[in-house]
Amino acid sequence: MELFLNFLASGLVIGSIYGLIAIGFAVIFKTTGVLNFAQGEVMMLVAYVSWSLATELDLPLVLLIPLVVVAAAAIGALLERIFIRPMLGEPVFAIIMVTIGLAVTLRSVIVLIWGADAAAFDVPLKGGLIEIGPVVLFTEQLFAIVLFLVVALAIFLFFRFTRIGTAMRATAQDETTALLMGVDVKRISMLAWAIAAVVSGLAGIAFAMMISRAPDMWFLGLRAFPATILGGLDAPLGSGLGGLLIGVIGDLSEGYIGQGLKEISGFVVIIVILMVRPYGLFGQRELERV
Amino acid sequence: MLTLTNVQILYDRAIEAVRDVSLQVGAGQIVALLGSNGAGKTTILKAISNVLYPEDGEVLHGEISLEGADLKRLPADEIVRRGIVHVPEGRRLFPLMTVEENLAMGGFLRDRGELSAGLDRVYGLFPRLKERRRYVAGYLSGGEQQMVAIGRALVAGPKLLMLDEPSLGLAPQIIDLIMETVVALNREQGMAILLVEQNAALALEVAHYGYIVENGRVVLDGPAERIARNEDVKEFYLGCSEGGERKNYREVKHYKRRKRWLS
Repeated sequence: MELFLNFLASGLVIGSIYGLIAIGFAVIFKTTGVLNFAQGEVMMLVAYVSWSLATELDLPLVLLIPLVVVAAAAIGALLERIFIRPMLGEPVFAIIMVTIGLAVTLRSVIVLIWGADAAAFDVPLKGGLIEIGPVVLFTEQLFAIVLFLVVALAIFLFFRFTRIGTAMRATAQDETTALLMGVDVKRISMLAWAIAAVVSGLAGIAFAMMISRAPDMWFLGLRAFPATILGGLDAPLGSGLGGLLIGVIGDLSEGYIGQGLKEISGFVVIIVILMVRPYGLFGQRELERV
Repeated sequence: MLTLTNVQILYDRAIEAVRDVSLQVGAGQIVALLGSNGAGKTTILKAISNVLYPEDGEVLHGEISLEGADLKRLPADEIVRRGIVHVPEGRRLFPLMTVEENLAMGGFLRDRGELSAGLDRVYGLFPRLKERRRYVAGYLSGGEQQMVAIGRALVAGPKLLMLDEPSLGLAPQIIDLIMETVVALNREQGMAILLVEQNAALALEVAHYGYIVENGRVVLDGPAERIARNEDVKEFYLGCSEGGERKNYREVKHYKRRKRWLS
């Protein structure tokens, strides 16, 4: 039982990281219909920038987080403005290809600027081990879970209750009509990229604090992608939950069945679930009035 | 207040959907824009709202102005801000959002006070929507959806309301209700209305002035009563020939008589 709870906890930790990135995927897909294959790279870029901020400025976590949120939003908005906006009106497939190109470019640019070595992100958070009953976690790991919960709640409230969040949902459902209501659809797309960069960037920081900031972090994006598919591409919260599921299933299967299952167990689950619900666990089926 | 002068609209820079259309909507007027499928009526409305670009449409020539100010280069949100609000064909609600969320989207550009006042006004106009405010819009009946679509536009506080086929696919009773509302808005608040319709009889009943569009051109315009008396309009749009007799479709060859205005 103790073992199970510890597997569960470590699954939730890595699942929180996946979940945050998956929310990033879903926010962009939901509002613009584009799959951003550079989400993992955007996350890595934000993590690197925050690492530099943290080491140069030597800020405490409470100051670092708001600063990083602003920086990440700027990065997301800028990337949208430069790479996605000119593609407006082009086929979605072409835009997705641009994001793949963007992914490769960002990876190289990061190595160019920061070098290929990993570095510890050990500035802000130091608390050692925390015991919750039989479960033992590092402070950084607990931070990841708390971060996920806070961000998921914020995303829920934003889409549900704010005017701009409602406008984003409206744009997702019918872009032309949103235009007719006076919504500036271009700004909505920029906002979606900014939000996705913030959310996944926070995941990047949490991950970097747990392990290190390293130029292979983008790989987390690939791991989180199945989580989005599982939860539903157009469901940010569902995607987040999908991340938790993938994380927990991965750690449990590796712990109980065998080494190497972490990588594939998530995909097995997805294949099974998509057979039953092709639009994901929480995705919206086309609404049809009979 | 709204003036279109010699407007030409192309899709994909190749297909001419509207050619040389000029029309005017005066303050406090109901103007009907009539014509059959594919005549270019909806394209004209989209050009006014400046939402042609997602479909690769473009106003190539001509002027569109509101009270003298050029509208052609303004983004869609600025046009809404200036008081032109467009109710699209087929309602086009946000199907997954509730009735109230849909209505609130109409007030996207307005401040909180105007928004809640607007919602109250719409609920006063269509009490049925108040009962259904928490319903998901996609599951409403066609008539209720049309009420939401019009209500949503009213929350935006229009000076000029553009309605694209509000009667499409609705029961006669609902059509009457919608039309009564439109006339009331015009009479009581002096709201100008540009009404696009296929149902010419219905539109000419409420309109002050009418335009008939065919193949992207205005072929006839005039005060609504005069248009309704026009022989060709009677035959081709109102479905009755001279003397109001029913047409004998067995002699369909004769039915293909050329319209006078084309000769």
